[in-house]
Amino acid sequence: MVDTVEANAQRVLDKVLAAGALGDLVVQEESALSLKAHDGELEEHKVTSTRVYGVRVVKDDRAGIAYSEAADPAALDSMVEQALVNATFSRTDPAESVAPGTTTLVTDDAILCPADPTSAEAKIDAALYLERQLTARDKVRNVPYNGVQDATVERHVFATSGRTAHSRDRVCSAFAYALMSDGDKDALEGVQWHTRRFDEIDTAWIVDETYRRCVAMLDGEAVPSKHYDVLFDVEHQADLFAVFHDMFSAKTARDGINPLRDKVGERIAVDALTIRDAPLLADGLGYSLFDDEGLPTATTTLIDGGVLRTLVHNSATATHFDAPNTRNANRSPRASLGVGVHQLEVASGDVDETSLTSGEYLEIVDLAGLHSGGNPVSGDFSFGAAGFLCRDGERVRPVRNITVAGNFYEMLNRIAAIGDTPHWNPERSALMARIRFADVAISG
Amino acid sequence: MLDTRVAQSTIDHAIALGADFAEVFVERNQVNNIATLSNQVQDIASGIDFGVGVRLVYGAKVLYGYTNRTDAEELRRIVAELAAKDRRHPAVSAQAFDFRTASDAHGAQRTLTQDSEVRDKVGYLFTADRAARAASNLISQTQGACGQREQAVEIFNSDGLHIRDTRHYIRARLQAVASNGSDQATGMQTAGGLLGWEIVETLDPKACGAEAARQALVNLSAKPCPSGRMPVVIGNGFGGVIFHEACGHLLETTSVAKKASVFHDKLGEMIANPVVNAVDDGTLVREWGSINIDDEGMPTERTQLIKDGKLVSFLADRVGAEQTGLPRTGSGRRQSYRFAPASRMRNTFIEPGTASFDDMIASIDRGVYASHMGGGSVQPGTGEFNFAVTEGYYVEDGKIRYPVKAATLISTGPDVLKQISMVGSDFALATGMCGSVSGMVPTTVGQATLKVDDILVGGNA
Repeated sequence: MVDTVEANAQRVLDKVLAAGALGDLVVQEESALSLKAHDGELEEHKVTSTRVYGVRVVKDDRAGIAYSEAADPAALDSMVEQALVNATFSRTDPAESVAPGTTTLVTDDAILCPADPTSAEAKIDAALYLERQLTARDKVRNVPYNGVQDATVERHVFATSGRTAHSRDRVCSAFAYALMSDGDKDALEGVQWHTRRFDEIDTAWIVDETYRRCVAMLDGEAVPSKHYDVLFDVEHQADLFAVFHDMFSAKTARDGINPLRDKVGERIAVDALTIRDAPLLADGLGYSLFDDEGLPTATTTLIDGGVLRTLVHNSATATHFDAPNTRNANRSPRASLGVGVHQLEVASGDVDETSLTSGEYLEIVDLAGLHSGGNPVSGDFSFGAAGFLCRDGERVRPVRNITVAGNFYEMLNRIAAIGDTPHWNPERSALMARIRFADVAISG
Repeated sequence: MLDTRVAQSTIDHAIALGADFAEVFVERNQVNNIATLSNQVQDIASGIDFGVGVRLVYGAKVLYGYTNRTDAEELRRIVAELAAKDRRHPAVSAQAFDFRTASDAHGAQRTLTQDSEVRDKVGYLFTADRAARAASNLISQTQGACGQREQAVEIFNSDGLHIRDTRHYIRARLQAVASNGSDQATGMQTAGGLLGWEIVETLDPKACGAEAARQALVNLSAKPCPSGRMPVVIGNGFGGVIFHEACGHLLETTSVAKKASVFHDKLGEMIANPVVNAVDDGTLVREWGSINIDDEGMPTERTQLIKDGKLVSFLADRVGAEQTGLPRTGSGRRQSYRFAPASRMRNTFIEPGTASFDDMIASIDRGVYASHMGGGSVQPGTGEFNFAVTEGYYVEDGKIRYPVKAATLISTGPDVLKQISMVGSDFALATGMCGSVSGMVPTTVGQATLKVDDILVGGNA
């Protein structure tokens, strides 16, 4: 047999069917170039390529999964056999099945994987430029985190029903975080840039913006502990929402740990808040033509005027809740069938930026401890933070060594205003109008 | 796992292209993860990761590539691609391999390749679930997990090293969710080690479930935490994450060599209160962060980091040692073949002292007792760190008053080390996963209960 993804997929699915089961296979191929610089020279030069197969089988209403990075026939056969064994231990779940249909979906390389003329040498030059230019700036001690990357991810979904889907996504990135020192004061700040074409990256802007942010934060000090109005920058507003993405998950609702599981149709936020999952916004790097069951995606309104309209579903949770499938199946080759938001969009409100930034507020431009300081089950969070005390849109002074704490679900009801301008976060995974939260606990 | 001739060919090719050092890291990682939801198996995932990482060092520059293939052509292609910009006349000669098997200090018995023992593991998790639910009818849900993996590694390098090792990891945990209809809270109990499923012989699933439920119920009743600077007593075991974040990362040559650590020039200086003695020890038998050899093939060791408040050592991998002139400490670690190794912590802890818990609490007018900690993070350059309190209590007038929630502790490494004024004797270790430049690696943190005189508590009150 020819060793191609398609031929291997056929072998896997034939074996699944021969065992009297249904199944689907996710194959992920990644190739990447990654470069980092230190002291004027390349410190790391990484060239990688991998492929992993992950099968999900459903037999007698039980699902099992297994994966393999080896693609020889014996390894693939063993993978299927292991998935079938795993299924025998799983709970009986009539809702879990393999999505029917025979559609074939393929992404457009011109949009998601555009070619550009940037050579490997030019990428190396870009990495060196970032570090060299920043290191040469006043008070910059070094640039401990920097680099450029060019990665392509191919994703295939094959199902025993005959459904297939294939995407090829390219993401080019550059980032620099500089350590600035002045006497006993220091600051570590930086920015990142993500796009689909390497030649769109503006390395000069990264240098200038990183330096500007270091200078701005160098004299930061804590503010008195009290409740403030807070505006997050778009990067960290998106990060904050990402910590609590599970609030939209029908899977965590089914598992009994989503506090919003019984709130569909109810008001959970202020009237001004509308949130959508927008997988087909092609400007975003979270663009998804299909979900991980191979089903075509569409825009889903999650919160409409403060009312929770739906959770995000895959075929199993949709069957369980007797709800429409929002095509949000999420499954890495190594994991079981889950759900996930493709690309979050916070719809623009009607407050212009001048009004949004009126009076006194804290602008938060850094959050620390996102992976540990938030609990999606309770909604409670407490993060280290840095930013600026602002008045009428002007930064009055930098603020560091503070914490921001609260309950995210309660905060959705304490939104003072939503801006009228959409912004992509730097990762281009979320499109958001900025939100002004009222009465947020700040400790300094 | 890899034909020696292929490894030799790959390394010879790298050296012929002028590399100062070349290494081939082969990994086969077998995994079995069980997830339960209450008294049902939610899913079982199993699989095998396999790949080869190739590292070339030219001076201070590290070139790294990896692939799932094992043929000589593919590995030579990666070498050629990596070295394309740096090729030069050979500077060194590759040594012939001298094969060794790493001496195993841990002796795993019930290993994954022998039997995944799914029924037994599920039984353990179900027993823990029943115990959690028996604690209160407010326990609305439990999520159990048992992960076992067997990581076989084979390392070749141009110094003639050829060594194999197999690491057996096991970890089980239960999360309990308490709900009163309007609010939800969680509690978690975890155990793990560098051994096989025989760990179950030392575990009590009923105690595991009861403890997870107890934490969830405490947190359900917790009030918003007061905020501001105040003294904090930090519980033993996972409380050691404070040292891991506040200091441990800053002592890795990954940061030190770049002068991106606030401690890079403090070797031999007093950086902590004299009551502080800190160690990173890869040799502890069957502990989660232990290893026989590091991921560069060096036997691991016990490294005293701080002695009576004085900084006495850093953690150095091969490249870090070359850049700093410090000795290697058997600390070169990586998540998998997908990462070049870097200096990383193993089992890191503050050694026990003699202070009593009661004296610590009694010494506080207004503060917090953080009995259980969650994870955290640090910026090595500035030393600023944060970590989450997952079970805490408000302390006033020398007495524990009521449980508090949503608290974070933030400070800087240099500051907090000087603020540790009392260290207790109830030493314990706890398992965790540490993320850094070379991926996620198993690490243990540990300490006895200790008191920090002044730290910023971020609360919601």
